Amino acid sequence: MKKIVLFLIIAFVGIQFIPTTRNESTEILETDFTQSFEVPQDIQSLLKTSCYDCHSNNTSYPWYNKIQPVSWFLENHINEGKSELNFSEFGSYSKRKQKSKLKAIINQIKDDEMPLSSYELIHQNAKLSKIQKEELLNCMTKLRDSL
Amino acid sequence: MKKTIFILALSLLSLSACKNDKKQTEKNPMQPQEMNMKEMDMKSSDDHEKDDHDHNATMGDKDRHINATTDKNTATSGIIDSYLQIKNALTEDNKEGAAAGGNMMLTAFSKFDMSKLTETQHKEYMEIIEDAKEQAEHIVKSPIDHQREHFENLSIDVNDLITLLGTDKTLYQTFCPMYNNKKGAIWLSETDEIKNPFLGSKMLTCGKVQKQIN
Repeated sequence: MKKIVLFLIIAFVGIQFIPTTRNESTEILETDFTQSFEVPQDIQSLLKTSCYDCHSNNTSYPWYNKIQPVSWFLENHINEGKSELNFSEFGSYSKRKQKSKLKAIINQIKDDEMPLSSYELIHQNAKLSKIQKEELLNCMTKLRDSL
Repeated sequence: MKKTIFILALSLLSLSACKNDKKQTEKNPMQPQEMNMKEMDMKSSDDHEKDDHDHNATMGDKDRHINATTDKNTATSGIIDSYLQIKNALTEDNKEGAAAGGNMMLTAFSKFDMSKLTETQHKEYMEIIEDAKEQAEHIVKSPIDHQREHFENLSIDVNDLITLLGTDKTLYQTFCPMYNNKKGAIWLSETDEIKNPFLGSKMLTCGKVQKQIN
């Protein structure tokens, strides 16, 4: 028993030294969603708190992010999120892709699939209220129809 | 040392919590969707008038001026066949069949010979395919409601692809006015008999042929 505990501790300490790439950038690209489209301030801040952590080039990391294996999990998670949708690069998408991404955004929010409930568990402020949800949906629908 | 074990336990706990949560949302996507769709319906009634204009328009026709061709191009056949397989599986509410069709489509894309495309066709083709591929990938791995959402976009992509490159097949562009919160959606069919892939057995015969290709 002692040996197992010791092994676990060594393994746990050991994996702390494995580096991970952090998804951080202070630069707001021209292709950022908020630069490519006219998005009202309150919607911008909604997007930043509820979506940008996993869907942009800049994550505001939680306190526990430096502990492995949490960092790994987050890194994968963010990479996956960004490959589906990256708000920082939204402007560089083709019109076709923008339109279909907007549609997917609308569906995901409507179905309460995004933000992920596991994310909301830790980021209480990322939870969308009913009103916020409607605001966001209206804004995205308008944008999609304008394309 | 106790502290370390505690932190370890905590991080593992948070990981497993995340995973479980995700599963739950995937398992039960219908309820909130239905509720919210009703809400949306009420909310967006103002928008309906505007939406109606979009009924016939596909993405390409509206803002990107694809030069339509009447070429009897057989190069697109593999893509169209896989599309029809997805379509037919969805009319039967067959999730696995649709997923298999999605895989078939991904193969068809990778086999497609781009060397015969003109420069403008090539650019347009790449954009269509970039989007269509994503739709197909999601159709491979999603529950049926999501498959249908992606099939809606895929139909627009494949329709635009045919406008761009042509086909030797006879196809029918069919319109379902009910789907997507009564916003409507188009699909392509090899027959003019209506079998609705968006609503499946719920309303199999809903739809109207809008246009015949070839």
